[in-house]
This record gives sequence, structure tokens and C-alpha cells, in this order.
Amino acid sequence: MRHRSRAIDLWDRFGLLTIVLVSWLVFALFADGFTSDFNIFSVGRAVAVSVVIGLAQMVVIATGGMNISVGAIGGVSAMFTGWLLEGVGVPVPIAILGGIGMGAALGAINGILIVRTGINSFIITLGTASVFSGLMYVVTKVQAFRNLPPDFIDIGQTRWLGVSPLVWAMVFTCAFLWFLYRGTTLGRQMLATGANPRTARLSGVPVNRIIAVTHMLSGALAGLAGVMLLLRIGSAIPTIGGDWVLPSFAAPAVGGTLLSGGVVSVVGTFIGGLLLATIGNGLTLLNVPSFWVELTTGLVLLLAVLLDRARTLAVLRSRTGVQQPAASAAAKVEM
Amino acid sequence: MNRPVRNFIRAESFPLLVVVVLAGAGLAVLRPEFTKEFNLYVLLFDISGSMLVAFSQMMVIATGGMSLAVGATGGLSAVLAAGLMVSYGVPVEVAVVVGLLAGIAMGFANGFLTVKTGINPFIITLATSAAYEGTNFGITSSNPYYDLPTQFTDFGQARTSMFPHPLLISILVAVALGFVLYRTVVGRSILAVGGNARAAEMAGIHVGRTIVIAHVISGFLAALGGLMLMARLGNGSPTIGSQWLLPSFATVLIGGALLAGGKVSITGAILGCALLALIANGLVIFRADPYWVTFLEGALILAAVGLNQLRSTSTRQSIRPRPQAQPMPATK
Amino acid sequence: MKEREDSMRDVGRPAGTSNAADDTSSPVPQPPVDRDDLQTPALLEVKGLRKAFPGVQALGGVSLRLRAGEALALVGENGAGKSTLIKCLTGLYQPDEGEMLLEGKAERFRSPQDAFDHGIAVVPQERNLVPQFSVGENIMLESLPKRRGIMIDYGRVHREAQKWLDMLGVDIDSRVPASSLSVAQMQLVEIARAISRESRILLLDEPTASISPHETQTLFSVIRALRSRGVAIIFVSHKLEEVFELCDHVAVLRDGRNAGPQAAITDLDRNQLITLMVGRVQVVHELKARTDGHGASLLELRGLTSESGAQDVSLTLSRGEILGLYGLVGAGRSELAKSIIGADRVLSGQVLVDGKAVRITGPGDALRHGIGYVPEDRKYQGLIGIHSVMSNISITIWQKLQNLVGWVGGRSERAAVSPMVGKLDIKTPSLSTAVDSLSGGNQQKVSLAKWLTAGVRILIIDEPTVGIDVRTKANIHDLIWGLASEGLAILLISSDMPEMIRLADKVAVMKGGRIMGILTNDHDYTPMSEEIMGLIH
Repeated sequence: MRHRSRAIDLWDRFGLLTIVLVSWLVFALFADGFTSDFNIFSVGRAVAVSVVIGLAQMVVIATGGMNISVGAIGGVSAMFTGWLLEGVGVPVPIAILGGIGMGAALGAINGILIVRTGINSFIITLGTASVFSGLMYVVTKVQAFRNLPPDFIDIGQTRWLGVSPLVWAMVFTCAFLWFLYRGTTLGRQMLATGANPRTARLSGVPVNRIIAVTHMLSGALAGLAGVMLLLRIGSAIPTIGGDWVLPSFAAPAVGGTLLSGGVVSVVGTFIGGLLLATIGNGLTLLNVPSFWVELTTGLVLLLAVLLDRARTLAVLRSRTGVQQPAASAAAKVEM
Repeated sequence: MNRPVRNFIRAESFPLLVVVVLAGAGLAVLRPEFTKEFNLYVLLFDISGSMLVAFSQMMVIATGGMSLAVGATGGLSAVLAAGLMVSYGVPVEVAVVVGLLAGIAMGFANGFLTVKTGINPFIITLATSAAYEGTNFGITSSNPYYDLPTQFTDFGQARTSMFPHPLLISILVAVALGFVLYRTVVGRSILAVGGNARAAEMAGIHVGRTIVIAHVISGFLAALGGLMLMARLGNGSPTIGSQWLLPSFATVLIGGALLAGGKVSITGAILGCALLALIANGLVIFRADPYWVTFLEGALILAAVGLNQLRSTSTRQSIRPRPQAQPMPATK
Repeated sequence: MKEREDSMRDVGRPAGTSNAADDTSSPVPQPPVDRDDLQTPALLEVKGLRKAFPGVQALGGVSLRLRAGEALALVGENGAGKSTLIKCLTGLYQPDEGEMLLEGKAERFRSPQDAFDHGIAVVPQERNLVPQFSVGENIMLESLPKRRGIMIDYGRVHREAQKWLDMLGVDIDSRVPASSLSVAQMQLVEIARAISRESRILLLDEPTASISPHETQTLFSVIRALRSRGVAIIFVSHKLEEVFELCDHVAVLRDGRNAGPQAAITDLDRNQLITLMVGRVQVVHELKARTDGHGASLLELRGLTSESGAQDVSLTLSRGEILGLYGLVGAGRSELAKSIIGADRVLSGQVLVDGKAVRITGPGDALRHGIGYVPEDRKYQGLIGIHSVMSNISITIWQKLQNLVGWVGGRSERAAVSPMVGKLDIKTPSLSTAVDSLSGGNQQKVSLAKWLTAGVRILIIDEPTVGIDVRTKANIHDLIWGLASEGLAILLISSDMPEMIRLADKVAVMKGGRIMGILTNDHDYTPMSEEIMGLIH
């Protein structure tokens, strides 16, 4: 019993990191150009976007819900920013803020709908994902913005202190969220809401307001990710965000955020995003066709949740000495 | 008004039926192209395909779960069959059976993983759908299988005036599902598990097995849908099923099913399919932007669950026991 | 300390039986001494059943004996172990030790289906119906009659179900959906379902909690008919007069053990039965007298009617006073509490704090007015299991502790929480331990601590000692008493009669959402308990 819990502790702390390092090693050995300066810079930017997408989902998972519209919000925000830059011609900082703000606004819509109707977040965000995307397609007539102003594009290409500004944005976001959940009232109330909304409510936590704010935050982060992706690829195309749902769950899940809510790991989500982006990059360099990345991500997600579940069962068993019964009912989607 | 008519009007799907009829009538009046035979054929084929997709999702929703893998299952099954027919010259009947078996296997995997691990089916099917889709693209290398045997495509494209022959299959499936869900122990067990899993368990129903069965049926139906679509398209494209996710939920929920499980409506789902098909068709006829479909699908889902919520809030109150995963110490 | 507890426990136990009360190493099965049984073999026999949960020994060696055609009453206070025993008998729990013998053969029931296959049917305490299905289908769910193999014969389903409903004298059409029934009707449907299984042993867990006296009488005649056919009945109820009316034997549980041998009902009178259930209230130590001059009215309710069932409730709670709220399950006490703090909607009436009428919009608002609520269900409503002791206690004061940017400093949090942990004597390895690894008693203290840290002046405590061991129970009683001495106004909701009579200054009795009366407590057990019970029945 003591051996088992020691193993669990070790895994908790170093397991994921070990996997990342091992994968780096493998790719460094077998993939040409993996360790080149150019590639590291490129991966850095991909990681940055990947992590922020994961964070956008993580904050909602923390409060016990989910956001299927992360991709849609990201896409709309990216197109909005593109339009502001190319169609209207606002200064770059304003456009970036506009993109993030658009994300926040769309997230707020999600939050208000969820809180007002009491319907679970899966369905609401499934619906709004189509509403947001659909409107965007109609409004933009599916045209891309390919002539973004050079000073905007430069941000995506340049380096600040050796790394891309995208990486700095990611670092700042991670730090912000880390502090949020570590010790601010808002963050702790979010975790309480996710862990046990009934208790939280009876203890005076304004649960509805927390959920609405959470979705707004998620939208802002998705918007940020959209803008970051825009910087990375250089044009605003309407398909941005189309494939975000899977990685948005995979990164937090791999990183130890409990899908049921109440427990988050910002560092874990970072490592998760790191792992996923690295695998994507490595596989591409190995000339593996791109859809294998999707397959791998799915398998990684599955493995991560299976391991997490096995871990939870082992902890429970060692504590109560009782064999937990296999799940008898389909785990319902809550909130 | 006599009794049967009053009951008909009070039926839950009646308002939806009215909407569908009005929509159809409206289109017919405003745009005569709507009533052209070929257009009606396209419309009806659309519905026969989406019915199967809807039923596939419906079976899982009935147990209180969900499947994000409906599209991926249908797509991979179809592509497998196509590959067998085109690359290996396998006879059509055999290939179709293999495709259906593949669907069953994928459904079984989803159900098995869900039950054995106790993990939320959302996550399980999110992962498996990625796996299935990835495999799909892997097998086809993103290229469709052209030149499907004419024996296969002839059936898919056959029609009598505006009635596609495959519609018959979908109607048979609908009738069969109706029988299973309302007349057999298996079907009632599926709905009981969705309605109150604890009560089902106490009544001796094997909850895990029931959930797996629902997923297996779902996989079978998805595969059937994929094959049907492919038969009409004429080529085994890896994109089959890629857009099924939202409509599979939309049609079922618009039709009056409860996302939490225990209650579904077959006629409602069919009407939901009809409504979405009419909208898509109407957009084409009016030469409106086809992307309105995406928007409308989302808006309709929101409206449908909103209405369902209003309808069912009062009945949810005191019947369900609190969800308890672990044994509680002795109380009263 | 230990000796005092033993002396508490000795009450009611005949001389000669083992005194190994706290000895958990050797189970002490107690063969019942039933005088007229030696010929008829037992249909069901339970010997020395033990079942433990983290922190609580729910059953510490329980035995009983049941013969065909017999009605055995199973009585005991809340937390005595009745529920756990039933769950062991019906396959929901596996006992840790002990035997269950059916007709002499030792059995283990691994699932409810398994228990049913062995001939045990149960009317559970909570409803377990599928809301979307019809009443008939719910009743026949275990064994839906089929025609031609796979097709369900609904004609027969409804005919059979109606048969059982009619037998119970219940006026419900078996075709209506279960969701349309009232609580009482649902209970009757559950009874019909259990009876329809035609098993050898029928367990009824508080079957009359929500039904009318008339329906109760019909139920009893059905039970008598079943008995004459050889069905054995185990009847769990708080209503002692029903026990005397219906049953011929009674087994009393107290603190997870038999309180005395199984007896024929004719050998006991009501007072003796109550004594067995609660033991003579031997106070471990006298509670320090509190100043009786209670302070100003802190909380007043005038004609409060809520959406959840409180009807026209009026009461006053003063500074330094403990007002007890007694009632049976379903009386509406927790609903009243939730209405006061704004968690349930108030339809009419007034709530006054410090003499001023207020509109409390939710628990956060209640907290601002100085009102706290310690819920009955500490696990799912009072605590966040996976979070730390520290977090659970400080949740009510984060907003108070935070600085300009919303940051709650570790040091100030610790400074606020630590003293409270010490004051309440919460035993935990550290402040960052997850709360779900503490014992029940300590968990309850955490649930309490969070309000004390917030400095509430009015505290509503709902069933403070359910499922908690005796020693911690006394501990918590001292706590509550002490809080009142310090000036808190306490509304104590409890179904534990000795607890109520020990602590409360006044006792408000609630039934069906209404206050039946408010009694001044003279702390004399027997007359007080009878007066309270009198208001309920």
C-alpha cells in the first residue's frame, strides 16, 4: 500500500514531464531539423497557441462545465481582428484588444445563457458554436483577410529577448491564471463552484455570477488564442478554430485538471499543451501525414483519462480499503 | 372534436408537425421550384439519411449519454466498405456487411470503454471519434474511393418519381426502433437506465450491458447511414460524416428527447430531420447563403432545449435519488 | 471518560450480557432469547453483523431472528443502524463480518437482484421510480410480462399492476406517468411494487412516512393478509403506535448494536421501548447553566410561507437562545431553514433581523446579515470533499481577507482559521488535508467552523450529530451549548429526541410545513418527549 502511494506521488510530480522529455529525445534523434533554431522557434509559437487553447477550456472545466464553442469563438475573434486591421485600419494594439474583447463578449453570451436557462453547458455551447460560426461565415462571405498590415505580421515573426512574443503572451497568461487559482477570492470561488456547487452556494459563493464570469474568461482566452494564431499564420482565414475542441480538452486532461471540476493545474495544462504541440511538430518533421496527429491526440487523451481514473481508484482503495463498484450508470454531463 | 383528433392535437410532436407543414407549404407557395420532382427527391433522400444519423444519436441519448463519434463511425464504416469494393473487388453484399459490422464494433468500443472506465462518455467519444477519423484519413490518404460498383450505387440512386428507394430502409428502421423501444425489454431497459439508473439497477436491469447495447445499435445505425449516403454519392469520400455532429443532436432534441435520458421521440426526430432538410433546401432555393444553415442549426438547438426545459422542469423534482458514487454512512 | 460511556451504554441491557461494548476485536453475537420459538425454525437469521465506514462503525454486531408469518419491528433512533442493516439485507452493502442465514443456509447478497432472487423484497425509504414510465410499468419493471417471447404485453402489465394497486386500495390509474404522482402516491406505488414481487420476506422501511392514516390502515390489513400466507415482515418505523398495532416482535438497535434481546411486543410497553431506544439520558456531565435572560430578538419569522413547503411559520430566536425545531422526516424543517437563508423562494411572510424586515436574496446575502446554515447533508452540501480543511473553513471569509487585487494571503488565512480549528478541537493531520479523509465528527466540526470564522450571530444547525460516534456527539453538544453561552442565537433542527431535550431552551414542533406548537423545555426527558410526540400525532 505504501509503495503504491509513493508511486502515485512520483507520477504526479514527474510523470508527465518525463514523457515530454522522452518525446523530445525521440524526436531529436529521429526527426531531422527538430533541434534546429528555426524549428524551436516555430514549435514555440505552436506551443503558445496550443497552451492558451487548453487554458480557455481549463477555466470552464474548473467550474464544472465545458465550452464546445472555444474554436468558434477563436475563429470569430481572429476574423474580427483581421477585419479591424485590414477592413477598418485600426492601430495594431486596438485590433488585438478588439479580438480579445470579442472573445470575451461571446463568452459572456454563453455564460448568460447557461445561467439564465439552467441548461447544461455542453448543449448551450454546442448550439452557440454553430450560431457564432454560422454568423461569421455569412458576414464574411467566407473570405479571408490576407493583406494584414506588416507591423502586425512582424509581431508574429519577431523575437523579444530570444523568444516569440506569443510565448511571452502565453507565459503571462499562465502566470495570471496561476495566481488567480492560487490565492484570489475569485479563483477559489471558481474552484469551489466546480468541486461542489451546492456547498459553494450554501456557503455564500455567488455561483451564477461565477459561472458567467468563467465563460467570459474562457471566451477572452479563446479570443487571445485566435489572435495568436493569426499572428502565427499571417492571414485571417475562416477555418481558424475548426479543430480546436479536441486539443482544448486534451491539454488540461493530460495535465491533471479533473474533468469533473474543482481541481486545476495550470502547470499541467502548460505541459499538456507542450506535449501535444511537440508531438504534432515531431510527427510533421517525420513526414507523417497530418491526420495521424489527430489520431494521436485522441489516443493521448484517452490514455490520460484512463490513467487518471486508475489513479483515482487506487487512491480511494488505499484509503477506504473498499473496492469501488464499476460505474453502474452512464456518467452524466453536468453543467 | 372527437377523441382521436383531440389526442392527436395534444400529442407532443404536434406543434413540430405544424411547423414542418407550414414550412413546406410556405416554400411550395413562394417558390414553385420547390415542388419539382427532382427537388422533392433530393429533399426526401436528405431526410432518409439524416434520420439514420438522428436515430444513431438518439439511442445513446436515451440512456442518458451521448456520442460525439456518430459521424466518425459512419464515415469510417463507409470508407472501409468502399475500400473493400474498389481495391479488393469484394462483392457488394459482403462489403456492406463488413461495413455494418465495423459500425457495430466501433459502437461496442465506445460503450465498453464508457462502462468499464466510468469516464464521462463525452470524453470517451471525443477521443474515439478522433481515433476513427484519423484512421479514416489514414486509410484513404484523404482521397475518395472512386468507381464504386454500379450495383451499389444503383440502389443508392434508385427512385420512384420523388421517393428514393433508400427511404424505405429508413422507414423500416424507424418502425423497428419504435418496436424495440416501446415493446421489448431491451428497449425499455435502455429508457429505464436513462430515466433513473438507480431504479433500473434495483429492478434487476444490468445497467452496464444496457449501455453497451445502446452504443452498439448506435454504431450500426451510423454505419448504415454512412453506407446509404455513399451509395448515392457514388464515391467513398473520407469526409462522409464529418458534419454530422451538430445535426445529430439538433434533430433529436428538436424532436423532444431529453438530453438527460429516459425520453425520446422517434416521430419527433423524423420531424426534426424534415425541418432541417426543409431549411437547407429552402436556403438553396432562395439562393441565400448556405452558411445560414450552420447558424440556424445552432439557433434551433438552443430553442429546442429551451422549450424542453420549460416543459419538463416541473416533472423532475422529487423522484430521482441524489447521485451518490460512494456508500454513505448510516443516516436515519 | 471511557467508564462514563460504558455506564451510558449499560442502561437497558439485562445483567449477564457481555460488557465488551468498545471492544472491536472480538464480535459479540447476541443470540436472542425468545421464549416461544424453539419449535418453529427461523426463516431469516442474522448473527453478529458488522459494517464499518470511514470513521463510523455503523453496525457493531447486530443479530435478529425472523420466522415465516411473523412481523418484526426494527426500531431505533437515527444513526442507530437500521438503514445500514436493511441495505445489508437487500444486497446494497456487503457486511464486513457476521452471518445472514436463510432457512439455515448462510448467504451473501451481492446485489439487489441477488437478494430478490433469494426472496427478499423491500419498500425503500427513498423513491426509486422511473419518472417517464407509467405507474404500471414501474411496478412491473422487474418482471415485465411478455407475449410471444420479446414483445411486452402492456395489457397484462397494466392489469396486473392495477390488481396490486386495487389491493392496496389506491386510486391511481396504472397508465399515468410516474412523474405526475404526489409524494404519497409514489410511496404507495413503491409498496405495490414490493408486494407484487410476492417474496417470502418483505422489508418495509418507513412505509407510512408520507401516507394518510386511512391508507395506513389498508396497508396494515394487506400486511396481515400476507402474514397469514406465511410471508415474513420486517417493519421499520419511527411511529411506535404502528409498531404496537402491527408487529408481534421487536428488535431495538442503538448505536449500531442490539439494545437488549429481541422481544415479543407483548412483553414491552411504550415507555420501556423508548428507554431501550435511547437509553436513560445519563448526562456525561452537567452543562454549565446559561443566563436565562435571553437577549434581544435576533431573528423573527412572521407567517413565512415558502415555495418548498413551509406554511405560515412564525417564531422568534433571541440572543443566547437555543430554539429546537423537532419533526419527523418530511416535516419541512430543512426547507424552512433554506427559505430563511434565501436558498428557497419565499412566497409570503416576513423575515426580520434585529427587528428590521429584510429580503434575503441568497446564502451570500444571509451571510452578510450574520446568518449561517450548517446543512444536514454535510458531505454533499456542507463540505467540499476534495478541498482542504483550510479552504473549507475560510470559504466564508475570502472576501473579507482579500487585499486590493483580490489576493488572499496565506498568513492572514491561517491566522483566521487556525484558532478556530483549535477551539473546536478538529483532529486533522494538517490544515491542507482534504476534508473527505477526516472522520464524520471532525467533518461536521469543519462544516460548523466555517460559519464561526465568519462571525455569524445567528446559526441554523441541521441534524448536527447524524452518523457520528457517541463521544464526538457529546463534544458537539458542548460546542453548541458553549456557542449559545457566548451569545449566538441557534436554531437547532434535530430528529434526535435526547439531543433536543438536552440542548434546547424551547422546542418548536413542526409537521407538514407548519408549526404545531412551541414548548418550553424543562429538560425532563419523559414528559417532554411525550409532549413533543403528542404534538406530532
